[in-house]
Amino acid sequence: MREVAVIFRRELKSYFVSPIAYVFGVLFLAVLLLLALILRFVPLDNGAQASLQGFFWLMPVVFLFFLPGLTMRLWAEERKTGTLELLMTFPVKIGHLILGKFCASLIYLAVVLALTLVLPATLSVYGNLDWGPVLGAYLATLLLASAYIATGMFWSSMTRDQIVALLLGLVTLLLLYALGFPMLLEWLAGSLPSWLLDLMNGISPYKYYESITRGVVDTRDIVYFTCFCGFFLHCNALVLQARRAKG
Amino acid sequence: MIEVDRLTKNYGLARALKGISFSVKRGEVVGFLGPNGAGKSTTMKVLTGYLLPTSGRAQIAGHDVVDESLEVRRRIGYLPESTPLYSEMRVDEYLRFCAEIRGVTAVRRVTAIDRAVQLCGLSRVTGKNIVELSKGYKQRVGLAQAIVHEPEVLILDEPTSGLDPNQIVEVRNLIERLGKEHTVILSTHYLQEVEKSCTRVIIVSQGDIVADDTRDHLVASLPAIAVRARIIGPEDDVRSQLAELFVNRKIAIVIGENSVLNCTIEIGEGNAPAEAALAHLVVKNNWSLLELSRERATLEDVFRRLTMQASVEALHA
Repeated sequence: MREVAVIFRRELKSYFVSPIAYVFGVLFLAVLLLLALILRFVPLDNGAQASLQGFFWLMPVVFLFFLPGLTMRLWAEERKTGTLELLMTFPVKIGHLILGKFCASLIYLAVVLALTLVLPATLSVYGNLDWGPVLGAYLATLLLASAYIATGMFWSSMTRDQIVALLLGLVTLLLLYALGFPMLLEWLAGSLPSWLLDLMNGISPYKYYESITRGVVDTRDIVYFTCFCGFFLHCNALVLQARRAKG
Repeated sequence: MIEVDRLTKNYGLARALKGISFSVKRGEVVGFLGPNGAGKSTTMKVLTGYLLPTSGRAQIAGHDVVDESLEVRRRIGYLPESTPLYSEMRVDEYLRFCAEIRGVTAVRRVTAIDRAVQLCGLSRVTGKNIVELSKGYKQRVGLAQAIVHEPEVLILDEPTSGLDPNQIVEVRNLIERLGKEHTVILSTHYLQEVEKSCTRVIIVSQGDIVADDTRDHLVASLPAIAVRARIIGPEDDVRSQLAELFVNRKIAIVIGENSVLNCTIEIGEGNAPAEAALAHLVVKNNWSLLELSRERATLEDVFRRLTMQASVEALHA
């Protein structure tokens, strides 16, 4: 675990010494808040119920575009500059390297996300905000973010080109998310067998995320996200391992 | 310390290592010499656990590089080719990171980093970002990183490539110092490097070891190329008498300053005591002998002969 902590610290620091962290953070917040306030995903009218449902509906879509950008460099850059060779010859298990990087990205994102707490805080000053579902929704957001980060990181390990990693991550996540879209499922209801629809709905993060944001934290949802991360992190390890044999 | 047994490595269809075996004893400084693509880097990558061998075994300090990779990696310091570094970090941050990740305990860390900084002459730049450093300094940071945990074995892949002559001398001196405390394997295509700092030379060519011996043995194994003599005497006499003494040898005589005759006699293969015969001739004729020396083959000749041979053989195979 000591090794995970050392990798974690270095990675986290590398976010904050490079301009990426700030550009990413500012853009992410700007896009999120502008969409929320200008497109009225968060109702600010007098007398309206103080609710952040729209805001959290927006989150997965914004993540879709931002998180692959955050994770694209994780392995691709190390491979390109050659530091991967050094990293892989440190006395650290591959799983620990992956875990360290993963946690650093997640914590960085959590910090940025914490800044959005301004929004519910403001609402609670002026209106009657129920903090329970809001905190549940933040948990859902973090779980979703870890799933996205694991996916993006996996693609980053597949290529030394960051843009390729970005695009592949984006497409994968877009497809997975869209699979569970209720409108799509309804539209396909007549033409596809129901087991396939269930499968689509089952592997897509959509319904799990939805269910937690509604304030219900179900073990099944937690298990789903854990498995999702586990799958991609494990694939990530396999890729790095396979490359040792291939050369 | 290092045992390598019939190691092979294929990259797809290309056979980078064709079953090399060698061993390195504790405290040796071994130079891995060979043209580009000979398999030097591949060998090092397998030894450090970065790549898995296709077949064969390798052990470092009694631990298998495949089965006990972590144990091996704990005992080595590695400078990969082209010295990759986290350029956004400061030198001291970077060395601290390397020490931490290699498990140097907090108590020893400060002294360990200090020692590496001193040895590599980095004290002036510890507060600088790596990206701002010159190539020579970056190379030293790479070396400091490799020694910060005082590993038993140092593996350095082309530690002087891309440096200017002054920097090369500095890094070479540094390696010489490191060789006193560590077992070192370094790869290079600079021959002077092995001549200066290595006790043993392994020459690889096309994935095979073509020579493995001490530097002196390797050089001695080559026939001396020529005997050089500076003689004062009547030119015609000297020329004819030399031709008589060294039948069928190529003799060149150049008249230098003060009518000194610079004679070069190629003695080729074999080790006839040419000097004695020559000296005798000079005394007999009452000439003056200013200098008598044997032009020795350098490591460069050994290298060229062995690697050329290998590629010619490969061509015919």
